[in-house]
Amino acid sequence: MSHRLSRPETLTALGIVAVAAGFLVPAMSLRPISALLPIAMLVGLIVLAVILLLMDQRKAAAGEPAQQMTKSPGRVAGAFALIVVYALATDFIGFYVSTVVAVPLTAFLFGFRHPLGLALATAIVVGAIWLIFDFGMSQDFPAGRLWAA
Amino acid sequence: MYSDLLHALPEVMGLSNFAAVIIGVIAGIVVGAMPGLSATMAISVLVPFTFGLEPLVALGLMAGIYNGAMYGGAIPAVLLRIPGTPAAVATTFDGYPMARKGEGGFALQVAVVSSAIGGIASAFALMLLAPPLSKVTLLFGPSEVFWVAVFGLASIIFLLGGNPVKGLISACFGVFVSVIGADPIYGTDRFTFGQLEMLDGINIVILLVGLYALPPVIDLLETPLKTDSVESSKLGTEPIWKAMPRMKGFWKTWLRSSVFGIWIGILPGAGGSMAAFMSYNEARRTSKNPEKWGEGEPEGVAASETANNADTASALIPALTLGIPGTAVAAVMLGGLLVHGLQPGPMLFRENPDVVFGFMWQFLFGAILLILLGGSLATNSFARLLNLPRPLLGSVIIVLMLIGVYSIHGRMFDVYLMLGFGAVGWVMDKLKFPLPPVVLGLILGGFAEENLRLALRIGRGDWGVLFQNTTSLVLVALTVAVVVGPIIKRRVIDRRKEAEG
Repeated sequence: MSHRLSRPETLTALGIVAVAAGFLVPAMSLRPISALLPIAMLVGLIVLAVILLLMDQRKAAAGEPAQQMTKSPGRVAGAFALIVVYALATDFIGFYVSTVVAVPLTAFLFGFRHPLGLALATAIVVGAIWLIFDFGMSQDFPAGRLWAA
Repeated sequence: MYSDLLHALPEVMGLSNFAAVIIGVIAGIVVGAMPGLSATMAISVLVPFTFGLEPLVALGLMAGIYNGAMYGGAIPAVLLRIPGTPAAVATTFDGYPMARKGEGGFALQVAVVSSAIGGIASAFALMLLAPPLSKVTLLFGPSEVFWVAVFGLASIIFLLGGNPVKGLISACFGVFVSVIGADPIYGTDRFTFGQLEMLDGINIVILLVGLYALPPVIDLLETPLKTDSVESSKLGTEPIWKAMPRMKGFWKTWLRSSVFGIWIGILPGAGGSMAAFMSYNEARRTSKNPEKWGEGEPEGVAASETANNADTASALIPALTLGIPGTAVAAVMLGGLLVHGLQPGPMLFRENPDVVFGFMWQFLFGAILLILLGGSLATNSFARLLNLPRPLLGSVIIVLMLIGVYSIHGRMFDVYLMLGFGAVGWVMDKLKFPLPPVVLGLILGGFAEENLRLALRIGRGDWGVLFQNTTSLVLVALTVAVVVGPIIKRRVIDRRKEAEG
């Protein structure tokens, strides 16, 4: 039973129902005309997610295999984690320091291990960004909250 | 009606506007040539960088990328049997066998000439059909505009194919995102949870980059594609002017495939891959020697490449006039227009004729430039792009996404929001939830709500106001047809299959 409930589509449908129901609470306190479209969409999402869940459970009952999300979950989780850490590092440490580390580190961890190529690519990317955005367009990037505090 | 078209020409010929098209075409070919990257993704990443640019420069880049990417997809399709874009799948059927016979260079030349012809035909269709259609839509009132929005959403959900429940979920999600922020009439906060950054609503660029750019980057890092190195010396390329006489027998295919591509581009929900497949099948059916197709028939490459480029500009006919995009790329382009304060719809032609007609010219020039930039020498150079290490490419795109989204308002909140949408987009992509309805929901949601509320005010709260005139009723009937049509079609096919046992 628990196996049937752990199918990706079923989990997604349950997630949609939970999130949409959660948003319905603040929607109830809006003026009727302001709440019209949001409530229609949230109720629609709940109804459709229930239909999706029933369809997926029917497939499970018929012995149909669940839709596969990824062949290498470790690599996907690693990629997401690296991107989130890079965003946090940009926010707290600063854009340039984070980028100088993130570009070669991501490429290295995911299979490109040519030292000269990594160094050259990092220099070109960071240099081009500085030249075009910082120098050319006076665009400020995060300097890092840690240093500002 | 067409005088505005001529008035827009001198400005398009300005140095910066024309250079934007050239850069866009080159960038588009590069993106299209890389399996895993698409025009939709490239334009999503580009849009935030165009904030500070003149509208025509930004639109020129987009038009160039769209045209270039549609041809660029043919490069790996021919050389490696890996379509660079979904629309280039049909190009592999005969393009790759040609490359194996040592005619890869000629296959790419057929592809580039056919792509240019398809793109030129499509640009002319846009120029001829969009202005009169915009005149008709100027007569629409709030209730008709509301129904146009409903029709647009219904058509992209039900004509895309796939699971309609998933399409509807995508659309509801998009419309819900559109209502986040201050209420347009009363100004009360809706679902902002005290975050000042969300008072103005969710910027479409944040959603576009998250949905369309993050999932391909994750895919790039998940399965780094190992490609065989391509040696340009083995392509068998000759100067394009020498190759042209060998293509003169393709004119019927070019003509027919252009019509297919234009028609499919106009239909909401259909896309370049459908155009290419239909055109390929039709060209093969009418060929004198269909048995040779699949073994390296250049006309097969011509059929698919003409059609997948002929749906580029034509997909913008419903997008620019009604706000209903024909393809995912057109949906992203609508987002690009909004960034520059250009609301797609009939008023666009009245208020910004120079921009909208200039955009049409840019599509035409982009298509013509394909021959010059994607010609024999360039094709050899672009083929070498396939050897770029993909993990490195992925990491560079991540940086571009971050600075692009950060630059919109200069705040990290938007970057975190984009990552959230990216995670949602990745799940949707893997579970085959269509993404265009989300974008269209965000674009049309606010538009539909505003006009619905306006119509109800005019009708003093009476919902009957939405059904009071013929145009509204026609639009309701079209919406019902779009919803019911595919269901009836599926039932007929199922019954026929049952009858055949």
